[in-house]
Amino acid sequence: MTETLGTPIQGVTLYSFTRASHQREYDLEALIRKVAADGYGPGLEIIGFSSFRGFPAIEDSFAGWFKDLVVEAGLVQTSLAVNADIGIHRDRLLNQDELIEYMRLQIEAAAKLGFPIARVQISLTPDSMEQLAPIAEKNNVTLALEVHADQYASHPRILALRDRYEQVGSPYLAFTADWGATVTGFAPSLLEAYRRRGASEDLLAAVVDLWNGYYAEGPPANQQIHGQRFGSFIGLAAQNGRPELGIDFAINGTGLFGPARVEDWLEILPWVRHVHGKFFGIDENHEEPSVPVRELVTLLVENGYSGAISSEYEGWHWNHWQSPFDIVRDEQAVQRSAASNAGSRMITDRAEAASVLAAHLARPVPHLN
Amino acid sequence: MIPDRIIEQGTLTTNGSRSAVEVRIPWYRALPGSCIAGAKLSIDGIPAAPETLRWEMNGTEFTFDELRTNTDEWWFPLDSAVLSGEVPLAAGDGEHTVDVDLTLYIPYIVISDNEVLHIEEHDTKTMKAVNA
Repeated sequence: MTETLGTPIQGVTLYSFTRASHQREYDLEALIRKVAADGYGPGLEIIGFSSFRGFPAIEDSFAGWFKDLVVEAGLVQTSLAVNADIGIHRDRLLNQDELIEYMRLQIEAAAKLGFPIARVQISLTPDSMEQLAPIAEKNNVTLALEVHADQYASHPRILALRDRYEQVGSPYLAFTADWGATVTGFAPSLLEAYRRRGASEDLLAAVVDLWNGYYAEGPPANQQIHGQRFGSFIGLAAQNGRPELGIDFAINGTGLFGPARVEDWLEILPWVRHVHGKFFGIDENHEEPSVPVRELVTLLVENGYSGAISSEYEGWHWNHWQSPFDIVRDEQAVQRSAASNAGSRMITDRAEAASVLAAHLARPVPHLN
Repeated sequence: MIPDRIIEQGTLTTNGSRSAVEVRIPWYRALPGSCIAGAKLSIDGIPAAPETLRWEMNGTEFTFDELRTNTDEWWFPLDSAVLSGEVPLAAGDGEHTVDVDLTLYIPYIVISDNEVLHIEEHDTKTMKAVNA
């Protein structure tokens, strides 16, 4: 614990509302205005390739319009999610020079659009991050590499990044902590979706048992164990006469619901500059049944975290029967309650959020003890 | 993923030997032509021969072979692409069953040393045809 409790900034990523935007129910402007009007902010995160046509090419006039809109709506830009599309050529992966150039264009787009953070992805190696640091510095954009299930904070790949960050010593190299790495159960809303596809109660109980067994064992130590777990979900579906559900069980069971413990985040917390409040649903008691939101917020508050928590609702993939807007509203209430119980609070005021985020990003470069 | 919205309801057109339908991306973010790896189109159970399939995106028509190396034209999540092929439609104003399969590469999810994830999605919808 640090002496000063953190005051995380409430926020949301528009990714949570993918279905509403994909079905042309809200255009970008309408969705941003709704986020503000319904109180999901002040933090606003956007995925570049989802919301900006022609990304990462951004016209000056569009950038001006966008930044004015965010201010007028009373929101604060947190992270622009960018993508390390290393496989964009179907027959080969990008070479190192091509990858750095690909990321440079997106970092420049983040700066032009006014985002202080770019969320980057695990396909960037320690060497790539070191090479990108001066580009991030020149653009004043922090690169926050996402730690996402099936990775976790103490995974060797993540620790290698952390150790390189310390060696480089740049304030622009950081992590985004995605709560999907530290899940405690197979999401009940996904089980309901399988039920609606005709999966038997016996099969669903077996899926839950399999996942719980892996939770008890802890996260996979290497790719071989990860692969074995992936295959076991496929095998389970086949044994129960529903082979067509196997890949789905496997992708979700190993790729979305990461079984690391909440405390695992302490391995990298000084470098965490952004948080994805990944979650999958809300139950009848208005709690998240499979992501330990209360414990995660408590950990962040007690360790002095005052960056944004971007609520990232992933249940839209399968939950067609409930409003994502209601679900995000309820999950953010859980976050605020947890912060309050921990003796602190979430920041929901725009001006306060702007100053707290600036101070959070200006903190000294961390060092390992 | 959003496979239930791949085929846009009410967009089936025909000009005799060729038929076309509007399709939406079943994914949350834009992908370039190089990641649109293939499609199948069937109407009333009759598949279009693969060599007759065409993909229209951003106002330009492509073969799937042309898409393979195209990283300049992107399929934006709000845009409809048009998938067409040689499938003769019976005259009249009856309902037709349209089936579309799509294979997409997800360029940031690396699954082995030289390979990224690909997803295969399918949608079926029933609709009347309009003369193009």
